[in-house]
Amino acid sequence: MKRNFAGCAICDSTWGNVWEEVEGERMFFCCRLCATQFRTLIERIERETGWTTVEAVEISGDRRGRECVARSGSGSIRVVFSFTPEGELLRFVSHAVA
Amino acid sequence: MTRCPACLGSFPEGDLSALAEHLVDRASESDSAHVRWLNQNVTRQKCEASELLPALEQLFAIGRGGLPGWIKGRFIAKFYGKAPHPFVVALQHPSRATLLGYVVEHQHFLRQWVRSCSFIMARTDERKVVLYELDNLNTEFGGLGPDRVAHYELLLRMGESLGVDRARVLSLEPLPATRRGIEGWNRIASEEPWVAALAAMHGLELIANRDLVNEGASMRYFDPEILEGSEITHEAKAFLREGYEADVAHSGEALDLVAEFARGRATIESVQSTFLRSIDLFDDYLMARLERGAQFEA
Repeated sequence: MKRNFAGCAICDSTWGNVWEEVEGERMFFCCRLCATQFRTLIERIERETGWTTVEAVEISGDRRGRECVARSGSGSIRVVFSFTPEGELLRFVSHAVA
Repeated sequence: MTRCPACLGSFPEGDLSALAEHLVDRASESDSAHVRWLNQNVTRQKCEASELLPALEQLFAIGRGGLPGWIKGRFIAKFYGKAPHPFVVALQHPSRATLLGYVVEHQHFLRQWVRSCSFIMARTDERKVVLYELDNLNTEFGGLGPDRVAHYELLLRMGESLGVDRARVLSLEPLPATRRGIEGWNRIASEEPWVAALAAMHGLELIANRDLVNEGASMRYFDPEILEGSEITHEAKAFLREGYEADVAHSGEALDLVAEFARGRATIESVQSTFLRSIDLFDDYLMARLERGAQFEA
């Protein structure tokens, strides 16, 4: 999966040392909470779009609210999302990208 | 003594090097509380403790505004900076759901407020602090007769005006972040030096201090225009107006007391870290208001 962050897949932090497999790829996360959030985000995007895999994500914002542009094949989706402090999705609003 | 703002662990007085080592150690173990604190307050880029130290020294440095100025600066940076807290953004022109999220979670907060202020009173010998807390508790919880109804009662009336009766409000358990906040503030008020507890609790009243815009805040707690037209109910206006009127004095007077009684480096360090811990709890608690509000969205 192509990502815009070199650090933690969801917040770009380089602290911590959590490695988890997501979509068949071993990814770096700064903490378990971020790993949980990223996995939840990808699963929700796939459920919304019907994609079998997410090929690329570009994430911006901070933990109180983020935006993600996800791509798969010729499809793109823009998602505004946030999580509870426990790592559950609080907000997920998606729009197709023209 | 030096305290860790993420876990309130203790280190020798003035030893920010020990704090830096601790933060780096805990972050290397991927502890989310310490990683989060570093990400939000210092840097997202992993570094050695020796590189972290100058940033910590800068963060804890008290400038010309003294300890009250430092507290206000940290509060503004966290809640009223370039990206204001989402609850504050939502409260500018609040929906029914946002206000109901406020009602349900805040009644738990206010009940803890009584315990926290009571701990402060029980642990101080300073008469002016006791009098301050008594006045605050009457305003927030006890009330001063039918003409000066308590903030707690105004909160419940706001809920009723929005179609949710108080029996239902009182029956709902707090969300996890609210519960964690309550437990954290209870610990702070009962175990930390009383002056640190005073700063940790009453510093939170800065949230509704409309004068913060004169000190760099990007917005007020809500757009004061909502107190005029018919955008929100009369009861919602009464609740918001009460805080709007009271919290300038509450937070200002508390910070004056903190400045007067936080004597010595060890106590000042304790005040600073405890305050940082408290505003992190408050940040999550405000998110819980939004989370609860989402449950009331049609």
